[in-house]
Amino acid sequence: MKIKNINLVSYLQWPVIMLVVLFVTACDEMLEEAPKSVAVEVFYNTAEEVEAAVNAIYTPLRINTFANYVATLECQSDWMYGRGSWDPLSQYQGLNDANITRVGGFWNGFYLAIRNANLVVSNAPKGSAISEADVKKYVAEAKFLRAFCNFHLVRNWGAIPLRTENNMAEKDLAKSSVDDVYALIESDLLDAEMNLPDTPSAIGRPSRWAAKTFLADVYLELKKYPEAAARAREVMQSGKYKLVQVASKTDFQYNLFGPEILTTTEEIFYFKYSRLDGQGNYILWISNHPSTDLFSYDGAYAVHGDKTNPNYVNWDEGDLRKKLWDNIDFGLGPNTLVSSKYVDPNAISQSGAGNDQPVYRYADLLLIYAEAAARSENAVSADALEALNNVRRRAYGFAPDAPSEVDYDAAGLTVTGFIDLIVKERGYEFLYEGKRWHELKRLEKVNELILAGKGKTVAAKHLLWPIPLSEMNYNKGLNPEADQNPGY
Amino acid sequence: MEYFTIYLLQVLRKGRQCNRWTETFRQCLPAPSVQRKIIMRINVVSLLLLISCLHLYANGNAQRLSFSVQHLTLEKVMDKIEKQSGYAFWIQTDLLRQSKKVSLSVKNQTLTETLDQLFSGQALEYSIIDKTIVVKKKAPPAAVKETVVPLIPEKKVRDRVGWPDRINREQRLQELQRMEREIRGRVTDENGVALPGVSILLKGTQRGATSDSEGQFELTIPDSGSPVLVFSFVGYLNQELSAGNRSILNVSLQPDLKALEEVVVIGYGTVKKSDLTGSVTQIKAREINAFPNANVLQALSGRAPGVHVRQSSGAPGAAISVRVRGGNSIQGTNEPLYVIDGFPVSGNPTQLNNADIESVEILKDASATAIYGSRGANGVVIITTKRGKSGRTVVDFETSYSSQKLIKKLDLMNAKEYAMFYNEQAVNDNITPFFSQAAIDGFGEGFDWQDFVFRKAPILTSSLNVNGGNDKTQFSISGSAFGQGGIIKGSNYNRYSLQTSIAHKVSDKFRVDFSSTLTRLTTKRKDSGGGSRGSSMINAAMSAPPTLTPFNEDGSYRVLSTAYPFIATDIRNPINFINEQSNEIRANVVLANLNLQYNLTKDLTLKVMGGIENRDDREDRYTTTGFFNSQGAAVVEAGQFTSFLNENTLNYTKSFGEKHHLSAVVGITYQDFLSTSIAGSGSGFLSDIFETYNLGAAATPNVPGSGYSKSVLASYLGRVNYNFGDKYLATISMRRDGSSRYSEGLKWGYFPSAALAWRLSNEDFLKQNTTISDLKVRSSWGLTGSPGIDPYSTLNQLTSGRTIFNDGYANTFAPGGVLPGSLKWETTAQFDIGIDLGVWANRLFLTADYYVKNTHDLLSTVLLPTSLGYSRTTQNVGKVRNSGVELGLDAGILKGAFTWNINGNISFNRNKVVSLYDGEDILRDNVGVIIINDATGILREGRPIGQFWGYLEDGYDDLGNIVFKDLNEDGSISQSDKTYIGDANPDFLYGLNSTMTFKNFELNIFFQGSQGNDIFNASAITNTMDYGFGLNMPKSVFYDHWTPENPDAKYPRISLRTPVRVSDRFIEDGSYLRLKNIMLAYNLPTQRLGIQQLRNLQLYVSGQNLLTFTKYSWWDPETNFRLDHSSYPAAKSVTFGLRVGF
Repeated sequence: MKIKNINLVSYLQWPVIMLVVLFVTACDEMLEEAPKSVAVEVFYNTAEEVEAAVNAIYTPLRINTFANYVATLECQSDWMYGRGSWDPLSQYQGLNDANITRVGGFWNGFYLAIRNANLVVSNAPKGSAISEADVKKYVAEAKFLRAFCNFHLVRNWGAIPLRTENNMAEKDLAKSSVDDVYALIESDLLDAEMNLPDTPSAIGRPSRWAAKTFLADVYLELKKYPEAAARAREVMQSGKYKLVQVASKTDFQYNLFGPEILTTTEEIFYFKYSRLDGQGNYILWISNHPSTDLFSYDGAYAVHGDKTNPNYVNWDEGDLRKKLWDNIDFGLGPNTLVSSKYVDPNAISQSGAGNDQPVYRYADLLLIYAEAAARSENAVSADALEALNNVRRRAYGFAPDAPSEVDYDAAGLTVTGFIDLIVKERGYEFLYEGKRWHELKRLEKVNELILAGKGKTVAAKHLLWPIPLSEMNYNKGLNPEADQNPGY
Repeated sequence: MEYFTIYLLQVLRKGRQCNRWTETFRQCLPAPSVQRKIIMRINVVSLLLLISCLHLYANGNAQRLSFSVQHLTLEKVMDKIEKQSGYAFWIQTDLLRQSKKVSLSVKNQTLTETLDQLFSGQALEYSIIDKTIVVKKKAPPAAVKETVVPLIPEKKVRDRVGWPDRINREQRLQELQRMEREIRGRVTDENGVALPGVSILLKGTQRGATSDSEGQFELTIPDSGSPVLVFSFVGYLNQELSAGNRSILNVSLQPDLKALEEVVVIGYGTVKKSDLTGSVTQIKAREINAFPNANVLQALSGRAPGVHVRQSSGAPGAAISVRVRGGNSIQGTNEPLYVIDGFPVSGNPTQLNNADIESVEILKDASATAIYGSRGANGVVIITTKRGKSGRTVVDFETSYSSQKLIKKLDLMNAKEYAMFYNEQAVNDNITPFFSQAAIDGFGEGFDWQDFVFRKAPILTSSLNVNGGNDKTQFSISGSAFGQGGIIKGSNYNRYSLQTSIAHKVSDKFRVDFSSTLTRLTTKRKDSGGGSRGSSMINAAMSAPPTLTPFNEDGSYRVLSTAYPFIATDIRNPINFINEQSNEIRANVVLANLNLQYNLTKDLTLKVMGGIENRDDREDRYTTTGFFNSQGAAVVEAGQFTSFLNENTLNYTKSFGEKHHLSAVVGITYQDFLSTSIAGSGSGFLSDIFETYNLGAAATPNVPGSGYSKSVLASYLGRVNYNFGDKYLATISMRRDGSSRYSEGLKWGYFPSAALAWRLSNEDFLKQNTTISDLKVRSSWGLTGSPGIDPYSTLNQLTSGRTIFNDGYANTFAPGGVLPGSLKWETTAQFDIGIDLGVWANRLFLTADYYVKNTHDLLSTVLLPTSLGYSRTTQNVGKVRNSGVELGLDAGILKGAFTWNINGNISFNRNKVVSLYDGEDILRDNVGVIIINDATGILREGRPIGQFWGYLEDGYDDLGNIVFKDLNEDGSISQSDKTYIGDANPDFLYGLNSTMTFKNFELNIFFQGSQGNDIFNASAITNTMDYGFGLNMPKSVFYDHWTPENPDAKYPRISLRTPVRVSDRFIEDGSYLRLKNIMLAYNLPTQRLGIQQLRNLQLYVSGQNLLTFTKYSWWDPETNFRLDHSSYPAAKSVTFGLRVGF
């Protein structure tokens, strides 16, 4: 071929081909994704990373879920009434769609926290730059929180799929028995008890004392009274906690449950909230009424009380805790009561109140001890009575640890009578803290006390919540007929 | 299709003095068949260039020539002569190709001397007409060498005997000279622009004249009889006019739309409309700009078959979504790809002003869209902005003013009815009635909250376009402003844009095009919609008690939520949203393209394009301390999006012999997409004076946020078009796309397509048919993809968050709720068969298409048991099928002084979910309004996307409570009693546009409608069924609810315990027929009035949305597709406008 006959196409042929080749080889590199973020596979290596992963276990529990959860449980107590969409909970005839959806949200929240805990339990030991001690500490914290989730799941739903670090990737998982669930709860808490620090690095993290308190509660639930009493006694003897003394209703509102206190001597394990963006407590929106001016964002007074409830009628007027109910007629009649236990006039949004949410406080531990001790010893010991009296004195504004005029007397007190007093005291003490319904179930007093308090009979199906469809439909390990809780 | 471009360049080169083209060109035609071909080619480019360059004149004088060349192509020599003489050559390409090389030396010679010398050795001859040298094949010796007077016999004669035929010329001229007079006049185009070069022939003779540069002509005609003049000009319809006794005859020629074969823009090229093998609908500037629309998407509504424009609300600047032939995807986007001047833009093309748009092409079938590969599955909308045209510089200005108001008000209870209603509810619920009889008697109509919230609002538009250039450089510059006020005070949408396009021919081979759009968009939003019990502004406008006013005695805002003991705590006084909350978005958008085009050979062109799309936007939201329960809250969010594009294509065009025409394009393209964002916020401000401009002053500063995302799309593409004798057309295309978004090993996808078309009207058996003027059947098949997922979706990323220890933040890191999976493209296989039929010279033109689209590897949500901690994952498992029929009809019903054109379209689409993961239903479209919190829709195999899902009602029980059908007969009502309660998909969509002109008046009527679509009226849950919370409701609830005396009422017993579920009650027929626009325009006869400066002037008055025929009970069926949940209502408007051209 003569050179002068080469036309422009031929001239361009090679450069074009080279360009194409370059482009082809460059392409696959260009298509690599390089996000400015971290992925599961490269995380959990340092103490800081593992701590951030542990922190993520709290998020699904704290944000809105827990406030709604507490309110849902309270609707089923013998004291309190749900309004609007919460009303069916107070009718005790099983859950309707709205409440099935709502409790389904709690299920999701607990299991999301369990997933985040399992990621820590599974990945932290593989970390490349983390000490053995730190691994133990963080795994213990993860297990504490996993136990917390399972303890709530098992009491509301009964037998459940038990998600551990060993089956966390299995889509289909059959239910484990209630006993198996408690076995894991116990072993997780024993690990936590051993490996959690005496004083945690931050308020809001569990200490070994929190683990012992939790363990005492679990043993009480399991009717292992000596173990419960022993754990509770250890906590009492540690000298780490004491009740906050109050003189007025306002002291309760601001010094014990207040939005601005960092912590109290009574705090064993709380979910911490703050007046920060998206980090506030939502329960104030649920409980408050706009007319009280105790919460800067009104309130939906969705769960309320009633003046005619015998528990309220028989409540001693001298008990400062009774004053945490305000009588407000908002359209449901003149006897309506609205709780003012949680107040924050300076909240930054509907879910922006600074009040912490108690999970275990010392008053709880004292009453756990009183009951467990009395039951295990089959006698009302002085220590047990003192524990109850501590709580009672404080409620009347007296020094918790000095004898007072409102003290119960050991004279003529049977174990049963003593436990009845504890149950009554717990009712007064833990209103709006989400404890009552589980307590009634544990004591097998659901029918009796709800009939007495609210004049309602409880359908059997109401005792367990339905496993949400989001689980039943997509977990092939469950049998839709046999594995759903009765009545749903 | 690229062969037009090549040809176009030649035409440009040869046509410097194109004012004489027509004439010269007719004279030089050797035979009718060849003439036909050239006309066709001319026609192709005529829209782009030919007509406009008629105004261009070269001033070259007949100078003496001097040059010397050795063995040079004839073409090159011609160039030299052109340059020196100022004369232009006209020659057919074929002849040029066959010519011999030339060696020639001339010194100070005249043009004719030079030309004689030049052509002596060639089989060519020339003639000079005005300033054009027409070169043709040497005629047989007998032929007359030169023609001076353009004599054009009638077509039939010409066909029969050949042409030119001037046998008895002398004789006839003598006869005609006996009794004669002069007639003068001016020929213009349809816009009143002078048309030079128009041939004017005295009918029945060969006597004629040609119009000059001013469009003026003079002709001697017989003084007796009724002489008829025939005006003809390429690209325009011949016009015959009787001279009568007139001595002056002004004529305006109408363009011949058929002859001016429209060019349709397709992906990576253009094609003649007649050569289309795919399904493409073109919408012209005139329709897009017919009435004020916030953007081009709104303007598409009802204009094209198979295109469904859905407005999410009536708010100014509200999001609009477009569906081409139904939705393919469940999870990914269903929006079409928008391509502006060749640049595939991200998101909706809201930066363009409608006045700047030349045309919009909607590519629908796979043959048309497959060249866009992985982004073509939802259709492609190609937007072409105005380009410069060489010729006289023209200036167009238009402006309009509209006044908008609420289309309709809901007929709500007045104060008295309201009080009685809630007293009745109190009685039913054993609560003491609140209103005393005296209070009730004192109430009248009360306060009208709808009148309070909604107002009249203006739209102002104006645009100025300057357009012109010469044969080397063309430009178009526009500046425009669009400003729409919202019918809620404080809401608006403004756009200011500057559009530039410059094209320059560097040399015969090298061409540069640049276009850019710079846009400033600002919008203020007042679209607090949705909500329940009056928690949003729109819902509050309906729910606020008519017994109360917005202000207290002291002028402060009334707190509605505590005004009555029974009223909902959620309700807000709408004045809070109107006065105390602002949301403003400001965006600067740049779209710029540089296109280099180089002709490697005459058949092969290299195009390199570089472009950038950039959008910087910032959103400021502020809630003042005056807002109910607010301490002041500020949010600022800013984002930057940048997309770079590089496209390199080679275009090849070649004709083989007479019948084989081939064009091909291959290319490599690269585009990347980079988004970054930053956000800050805070609450608790001492003063509202800071607004969003001092976040540092917030008592509670919030956690700042920022984000990054980048993806890359690399592609290879190719297409071949083959045309055999204008009868058989074939297109094959292939694109290979690589996207960074997909999993390793699944990043690349192939998207082929093929199409065949048969133009039956060019077959011999139909050529002579007087009824059928055009007939083409076409069929195509191809694969296209849909992007579906966001960048990084396949990676197991951790998201960061915060939790609290002590009293402060601690960081959290955990995976999200979606378990990442291995993902690839969604692929849609589309088959299309269509027919284009024109009858009676295309006065009636029908386009019909049938298509089937099967989408597979659908990105489907796979729900996971929530105990896994992940709620869902995504897999390529689903299948969806869309099929449908589209019809478009253009009819020129009346011609002449009174013209009437109608075009209409109708489309039927059916869609169906074919398969889902494991056959599992997916519940969706959750409505949360306190009394109902449930899904309203279901995705289920065998059912359409848009299937409503809920309970059936079965009257009332003895207490007036709704009875729901227990479908599974288990004695209780649960989720398993839900069934199909409606379908959001319309049976068909249609649009009808009618344009009538008479003298200087024009009447345009445009209807648009949807038939058979259901709407789930979620607004009605709160405002007709949520009793006991003091919400205002329609009068019908008050007058037609259950009482023992009225057991068959429309509404149940008024009680806060009335159970409400997602039921068929809320399904309403959303069919409507709407008069979208009616316009009466007056065109000032500028020519007749002798206003030389004005090219045209139009004044018009129009109305938008003036009439709506619908059974839908709430505000508007059009702006509430599928779900109506207290959205910003739509407006109707009256517009006055002016269009003027200089």
